[in-house]
Amino acid sequence: MTNSIPEIREADFLFVIGSNTTEAHPIIAMEMKRAVQRGARLAVADPRAIWLTEIADWHLQLKPGSDVWLLNAMAHVIVTEGLENRQWLEANTENFDAVRETVLRYSPEEAETVTGVPAQAIREVARAYASTEKAGIYYTLGITEHTCGTDNVYALSNLVLMTGHLGLRSSGLNPLRGQNNVQGANDSGASPVFYPGYQRAADPEVREKFGAAWGVEQSDTTGLNLNEMMKAMGDGRLRGLYLMGEDIVISEPNVGRVEKALNELDFVVVQDIFFNESCRFADVVLPAACFAEKDGVFTNSDRRVQLVNRAVEAPGQARPDWEILLDVMKRVGLKQPEYSGPSEIYSEMASLAPKFAGISHRRIGREGGLQWPVTSEDDSSTEYLHKDGVLRGKGLFQPVEYSPPFEETDPEYPLILSTGRTLYHYNAATQTRRSEGLTTKQPEAFVEIHPSNARKLGVQDGQLVDVVSRRGRVRCRAMISRQVRRQAIWMPFHFPEARTNYLTTDAGDKVTGTGEYKVCAARIETVDQAAATQASFPGSYAAAVEG
Amino acid sequence: MTESGFVIIDGNELTCEEGETILQAARRAEIEIPTLCHDDRLTPAGACRICLVEIEGSNLMQPACATRVSPGMVVRTVTPRVDRNRQFILSLHLADTIQDRNLAEDNSPSRLHDLAERYGTSGQWTPVSSPRQGRPSDDNPYNQFRPDRCIACSLCTRYCDQVEAVSAITLAFKGARTTISTADERPLTDTTCELCGGCIDVCPTGAMTEKAALAWGKPERELEKVRTTCNFCGVGCQLDLNVDRSANRVVKVTSPPSGTTVNDGNLCVKGRFANDFIHHSDRLQEPLIRNEAGELVPATWDEALERVSEGLLGVAEEHGSDALAFISSSRCTGEENYLMQKLARAGFRTHNVHQCAAT
Ligand code: SF4
Ligand code: SF4
Ligand code: FES
Repeated sequence: MTNSIPEIREADFLFVIGSNTTEAHPIIAMEMKRAVQRGARLAVADPRAIWLTEIADWHLQLKPGSDVWLLNAMAHVIVTEGLENRQWLEANTENFDAVRETVLRYSPEEAETVTGVPAQAIREVARAYASTEKAGIYYTLGITEHTCGTDNVYALSNLVLMTGHLGLRSSGLNPLRGQNNVQGANDSGASPVFYPGYQRAADPEVREKFGAAWGVEQSDTTGLNLNEMMKAMGDGRLRGLYLMGEDIVISEPNVGRVEKALNELDFVVVQDIFFNESCRFADVVLPAACFAEKDGVFTNSDRRVQLVNRAVEAPGQARPDWEILLDVMKRVGLKQPEYSGPSEIYSEMASLAPKFAGISHRRIGREGGLQWPVTSEDDSSTEYLHKDGVLRGKGLFQPVEYSPPFEETDPEYPLILSTGRTLYHYNAATQTRRSEGLTTKQPEAFVEIHPSNARKLGVQDGQLVDVVSRRGRVRCRAMISRQVRRQAIWMPFHFPEARTNYLTTDAGDKVTGTGEYKVCAARIETVDQAAATQASFPGSYAAAVEG
Repeated sequence: MTESGFVIIDGNELTCEEGETILQAARRAEIEIPTLCHDDRLTPAGACRICLVEIEGSNLMQPACATRVSPGMVVRTVTPRVDRNRQFILSLHLADTIQDRNLAEDNSPSRLHDLAERYGTSGQWTPVSSPRQGRPSDDNPYNQFRPDRCIACSLCTRYCDQVEAVSAITLAFKGARTTISTADERPLTDTTCELCGGCIDVCPTGAMTEKAALAWGKPERELEKVRTTCNFCGVGCQLDLNVDRSANRVVKVTSPPSGTTVNDGNLCVKGRFANDFIHHSDRLQEPLIRNEAGELVPATWDEALERVSEGLLGVAEEHGSDALAFISSSRCTGEENYLMQKLARAGFRTHNVHQCAAT
């Protein structure tokens, strides 16, 4: 996030796109509600009538995957009505004219036919955004989990740059991170392209520096991202896998293919707090401590590095991941310093990453969470980015064109399936499903179907149905709901017995490789209710793997 | 913009800002005024009357939480009359709830009892037999409402209206019968309630309390609070894990006070309640390795780590380091992610390291 969470309540205009904030980030949603109670205007762009739309001034209910059309049309309104912030963009940006030319071809009227959002609403929202000073954009996976995810983000940042909504309180471009430490994992260099602190692995000087610090010459072969890893597992380029704290058999798209590939590997280590689904493919399973049983830091969405403190002892022989990793490093012959604990490990990282140079466990303990960049002991926490102009010289406009989703609907698969998370469960649900209360509130998988569709198919609320895509078939309960658009269906991905990711496509974004969880083509089939008892419920994935 | 002026509170001349309440001005000067029905996140209700103070030129005392300062105002918070009122109000509320602190506390902190200890009461009061009622059958998993402890301060309903903004609970009936209810007295799980637990957190008497913690039975002051960061979404809420040391157990999760951390005293259902997994019997407790027969069987750490290093080194030798992939986790700490990429890059000289960044 370029801004901080507490700044949200002071915003005067909020544009929330592809984020079911009340469910995925309830505490951020509270801040948004506060802003609205104060009089801020709210525009929500989402294919579903999510809760926030109840208090929104506008709900732009776009067709899944048509975001670029919507955003370019908003930009079209801004440039044709002269609402851009000329002075700011001349001083701070480059390449505006290219974007201007592109978006001139995206009229709101045409956008209406592609996205289903009335041209008038597009105009109003564009005007309100451009003319409000404290106007922030908030987005999550609804924007990034597409083959055009990177384009979507560029389209958003074009809006930010042309209106100069950057480097100010409560206005900016704010991706809300889905997991507790997505930001921190990236910060730490768990990425094929970055060393810790976003230093490029492709840069020979960077490799030199880390090679010298670690005493091991660094490889100059480009690494694989997650999506490529999944494919390389299938075609034999990868032979061994070390998997820590993730359940790829639930969380990755087109999981039938992932399972097959896992079976082919020579060696698999899984390290987790539960015997998750991926453990079925492991040669070794290592028991890890959970967050309440270890020390360290998590970095949240607004770049705030905060402490994790051990409160209880881990069960049995389970051990913190950092201890296990150090042991493995020693066994494979990589000499390690005798760290007294995570605070020294952090210091090593900070000494190699200028962005975090001023951060230490001691200092966080003293001052509370610190928002990077903090470049030295004397440097202070950074509340919002780009205060002194766009970082790294000038903000670069990137013209983007609409490209249709990887898979489009056809007579055989006439519905658009999107997936997401709910308030009561979390990812693979290994944690939340072990909470009795959360399971009573939401015990099992479901698929949301629009009433008009349900009527056509003869599906009753609560009845078992099969959701079928080109990759798999999953049985779950129908939930008739006006939340979804007519031609769309929606499923949560938390439930191992009805694995949504047997259905999703693993077509990845061309830049990041992120899977297109938000759009694939599917159909609903009714099943014989007498035969389809609860008992047959878990069986759906076996068939999918074969098929 | 903001006009400022001066007020005098207990003889101290303080700058104040327009629209500010007496309570806010006093707090900035570290002058303490007790409150029961007040919360910084909510509009004042002026319901409990414990915060009454004297204002020069006015016969009636005024609630500090709800009265705005005006320039030149002279306020007194330490006078016999103010003291008498506090003791009177405390006695009144105590008579309306469980009087015995030990009974009242069973794991629910009670600010009412704390204040009574601190400011004293005006003698013994006969308990009013309050006809407040609970909901007949509320089998929601988290929240126990005990009407006999409620003082109808409306903190819970205001929180639900103004912060969580779902208005699942409401004040019902009148006078001494006033109680907290839901539409049609439905169980909480059948309402718009999102189980955020905020109502429990703000309740000053323990009338709203947590079922699991209640069952555990230790008073909250005997638990140790360990501050940490939530392990669910990317907001990074700060949590206090309330730990029973002798049992090595997280009994419940509370939020640090509002105004102190990024979550401003709030939590969501996962952060507050989804902690059963920590002590769940399904937790992995020992390393497993796959035996000749293809089954995963328990092993010692030494055996397991040996297998790991043999396995990884074996692949690297036979197919090269780039045949290995390391998937790290956004669920693990920054340090652990650092070590994972160091293992890949320094241990095996490959950049094949990533994590599920998008989900
Ligand atoms: S738990 Fe939250 S949503 Fe439910 S009644 Fe209490 S404050 Fe309202
Ligand atoms: S339940 Fe607690 S917070 Fe709610 S009105 Fe009663 S005493 Fe106040
Ligand atoms: S705190 Fe002021 S009236 Fe209750």
